[in-house]
Amino acid sequence: MNHEPIGSLFVDEVKAIPGGEFVEMCYSCGTCVSKCMIQQKGEPEFNPRRLLRMVMMEMKDESFDSKTTWLCSACDLCYPACPQKIHISGVIHAVKSLAVKNDKKTIQNTAVVDQQTCVACGLCVEACPYEAIKIIETKVPYRGIINVASVDSGLCMACGTCSAVCRSTSIGVPEEFTDESVVEGLWTWLQSQGVED
Amino acid sequence: MVDAARHPRIDVRTFTEVEKVEGFVGNFKVTLREKAKYVIADRCNGCGDCARVCPIEVPNYFDMNLAPRKAAYVPMSQSVPLVYNIDLDACIHCYKCVDACGALEAIDFSQEDKLVEEDIGAMIVATGFSHFDPSVMEEYGYSRYPNVITSMEMERLNNSAGPTAGNLIRPSDNKNPQKLAFINCVGSRDKRYNPSCSNFCCMYSIKNAILLKQMNPNVDITIYYIDIRTPSKGYEEFYDRAREMGIHFSQGRPSLITEDPETHNLFVHSEDVTLGKVMEKEYDMVMLNQAAVPQPDQNHMSSVLNVAQSPGGWFMEYHPKLRPIDSPTDGVFFAGACQGPKDIPSSVAQGSAASSRASRILQSDHWEIEPTVAVVFPERCSATTRGRACGICAKACPYGAINIFSPEIPAEVVTAKCHGCGACVAECPEDAITQLHFTDAQILAQMRAVLADKPEEKILAFRCHWCSYGGADLAGTSHFEYTANERGLRVMCSARMDTDFIYEAYRLGAGAVLYSGCHPQDCHYITGQLIGAKRASRLEKIFERMKMTDGRFRVEWISAAEGDKYARVLNEMQAVLDDIPMDDLKAEIEQLKPEMSKRLKKFPGVPGVQEAMDYSDILVDAITKQKEAA
Amino acid sequence: METRPKIALFQCKWCLYSQPDQNWVDNDLPSSMYLVKLPCTGRINPLYILNAAQGGADGIVISGCLPEKCHYKEGNLSALRQHEEFLNFLDYIGYERSRVRFVWLDLQDRGRIQKELADFEAEIAKLGKAKVLATRTNVSPGGQYA
Ligand SMILES: Cc1cc2nc3c(=O)[nH]c(=O)nc-3n(C[C@H](O)[C@H](O)[C@H](O)COP(=O)(O)OP(=O)(O)OC[C@H]3O[C@@H](n4cnc5c(N)ncnc54)[C@H](O)[C@@H]3O)c2cc1C
Ligand code: SF4
Ligand code: SF4
Ligand code: SF4
Ligand code: SF4
Ligand code: SF4
Repeated sequence: MNHEPIGSLFVDEVKAIPGGEFVEMCYSCGTCVSKCMIQQKGEPEFNPRRLLRMVMMEMKDESFDSKTTWLCSACDLCYPACPQKIHISGVIHAVKSLAVKNDKKTIQNTAVVDQQTCVACGLCVEACPYEAIKIIETKVPYRGIINVASVDSGLCMACGTCSAVCRSTSIGVPEEFTDESVVEGLWTWLQSQGVED
Repeated sequence: MVDAARHPRIDVRTFTEVEKVEGFVGNFKVTLREKAKYVIADRCNGCGDCARVCPIEVPNYFDMNLAPRKAAYVPMSQSVPLVYNIDLDACIHCYKCVDACGALEAIDFSQEDKLVEEDIGAMIVATGFSHFDPSVMEEYGYSRYPNVITSMEMERLNNSAGPTAGNLIRPSDNKNPQKLAFINCVGSRDKRYNPSCSNFCCMYSIKNAILLKQMNPNVDITIYYIDIRTPSKGYEEFYDRAREMGIHFSQGRPSLITEDPETHNLFVHSEDVTLGKVMEKEYDMVMLNQAAVPQPDQNHMSSVLNVAQSPGGWFMEYHPKLRPIDSPTDGVFFAGACQGPKDIPSSVAQGSAASSRASRILQSDHWEIEPTVAVVFPERCSATTRGRACGICAKACPYGAINIFSPEIPAEVVTAKCHGCGACVAECPEDAITQLHFTDAQILAQMRAVLADKPEEKILAFRCHWCSYGGADLAGTSHFEYTANERGLRVMCSARMDTDFIYEAYRLGAGAVLYSGCHPQDCHYITGQLIGAKRASRLEKIFERMKMTDGRFRVEWISAAEGDKYARVLNEMQAVLDDIPMDDLKAEIEQLKPEMSKRLKKFPGVPGVQEAMDYSDILVDAITKQKEAA
Repeated sequence: METRPKIALFQCKWCLYSQPDQNWVDNDLPSSMYLVKLPCTGRINPLYILNAAQGGADGIVISGCLPEKCHYKEGNLSALRQHEEFLNFLDYIGYERSRVRFVWLDLQDRGRIQKELADFEAEIAKLGKAKVLATRTNVSPGGQYA
């Protein structure tokens, strides 16, 4: 009788990454899905339970393409709620890092830096909750070889915190709104409410 | 219960706890604490006049504190025996009850707890279970949201003898709820609290839903579950009936309950896993089916009764399949949920079985036990040789079967209590105890025989009778191939695997030695494996210091179901041996022999060992010669 | 006519767990309140607050997730640091601290946002209208960008 393991499995690849170890303990109770905000806030396909299932069922490509892989912000609301004590965002992170290794790109709009105006003050580096920003030395047209901020799109989760702290409006996530539209909206409302001088 | 109380040969002692247990099967001496009721049982006729006049009201624990009782009370009207009781913690000593009782003079405030000693032949433990407190699970808001209740509270609220006479109302406004949610697995199947399944809550959840639906077909009930478990006869049909009645089932464990602060209505947030969709649904009332957990005093009872506990804390049976009713201590039996959560039919079945097991003892004049018991050589005990019994054996015995009455008197094995694990035998530093049928001499003779020829190629595997021996068996019957160089040697428990045996094996030139037994929770002898494991890790350190090649001594815990593991371990050990060039191996064996001999100085002095050595030498010699001739 | 105080509400899009609460904030705010919904409280640029103050808002509410429950791990801590600091500046230019309220919402705080807003509105009504800031007239509608 042959009791050799059968080749290398996707689930083993995930389990080999710290955080991914306990993926197979998931018994599909769904607690994490309803604890998570993302599906409820308008992403019907977001479902960490199903991503874990995909890993267990060897659905490598599907899991790399899953919205869950890219949209989980590792807020860990679900972790303390999981009755199987699975660090769900750890598993998702493991899948994501394998996806990045396989040249997959995030489906989010991530932060971009305006290299022409960035003064490399580092405020955004400090503020970014995902440590996605580094100051690097690079050649910038018209400015020569200088230090500027640079965003790792594999880590950025598009929270926009960097854009709120930048004093030179040099960094930000392409969003549906702009600083201008927010301020304009505020003023229009205030005017409509009749501001007395 | 009433029948039991009336039976001439059943003596019901309520309000009584077991304080101390001494003796052994057929001859237990049990000390009972009869707690003071402050009412003389023989005089009380159960009229309840005392309760009527008592001015003090406290919550009734029997009604899950949903209704009041007096300080003079019975918890429920069907109490057996119907004898009232004064709760002294609540009583203000107005003595109105004494006046009310009048000429009966049943109330006696001078009563005190009484200790009574009884001769008992056999004991049945039926202490049941307790309930997980869901208020520690913030997400469900129990104890913060008035309309989140537990299943036990539900049992009282929909009971016609309960505080609301069976009229289900919700606590916030006393209205009849129309929309209800039941949540299963609250605190069970949950690694944060109780990892195991509570066995009966799926079914009582369905039962309560059907009951409520029968009382009012318009109520809307949803049961949230992870899996519905209907493992017994008729249970699946019951589940079908619930669905036919229009009870909703939603697969998906709710992650959160929120409450509308105005209406106190509740919102259950869950994923319907079949749809993969997150839902937020509104209910008037939510019932939490909380986990069954061991009694709060289960640890205490386990030490009083000298019975072991399984990992979850329940009392542990002798054998999960073959002796599920017996405790590891002869003469003590389990019935019902104290041994693990079970529903009424199973509890009753176990109760009947336990009483028949117990009656076997009561009917016999003598009692058969396993013949592999321990026996002390009093002349070798340190009490005799040095005037001080060291007591190591008594400490090792998982059953408390060894008595040391005073330092000068040699240890004494209470044969009726001994189960024959051999822990004391291996632990005794004076080799003053032996185990019948597993004497040092007998084991030594076997070792010598299997290591007679080319010992450096052999792997000597010590296996415990209950687990790793079974594992090896299974490997064989399942045709899991493993090295032909293995030589198995059976003892009852890893606790019996004496350090002397291991040293002797290496002294005889064994290539490798496996030290194997049960996983700690499976040990047949309560804590025998722990003793074996402690010794094994001591040995590992010693051999490491001797610079023995890694892997020549191996410790593994293998259950009877792990045939694959047994085969794998042996094959790995063979690979270790294959990796060492034969000359190097032989050199290492020779080099370590003096070390081993040094540690074995006392061994030939053990009764029978020298004879066994001489005899097996002759035998081995003869066999070798025969082989040469052939 | 007595007008209601003007309150600008800056809200992160994750902090309201219950859908009805979110629907209420999205659709049923009185016209005296104005919602600016952002990915995270960390995304609130101090300029927005400044513009609200200069434009004549009587009160400002910043609502986000509880500190350890931020959707972006600690975006709200960044917001807290930044805005605590910025309040000093607002104080300096004459916009009282009591006109700014942080509301950190927990998942189970169903119905709290309505209460907080009502409570804050009453408090602001007691304080009266915000002082006209010296800088107000210098900024045209549309703020610094116009
Ligand atoms: C809400 C709910 C609903 C249920 N509904 C059903 C159902 O519909 N059908 C069904 O089959 N099962 C049902 N069950 C399961 C059922 O309750 C158990 O199967 C049953 O109670 C087990 O019986 P038991 O005698 O082993 O334990 P218990 O009923 O727990 O009885 C143990 C007794 O021992 C006493 N005791 C404890 N410790 C000591 C001590 N140290 N000294 C002296 N006395 C002690 C306790 O006071 C108690 O009276 C339900 C369980 C729950 C929680
Ligand atoms: S909460 Fe845990 S067990 Fe439940 S579905 Fe999510 S990962 Fe699986
Ligand atoms: S860690 Fe990811 S999956 Fe879990 S709640 Fe947060 S965003 Fe959702
Ligand atoms: S905060 Fe702005 S200016 Fe400063 S480093 Fe970041 S992007 Fe550049
Ligand atoms: S958007 Fe958020 S995650 Fe991305 S770089 Fe900026 S601060 Fe970091
Ligand atoms: S019996 Fe059902 S409800 Fe109870 S713990 Fe097991 S699965 Fe959960």
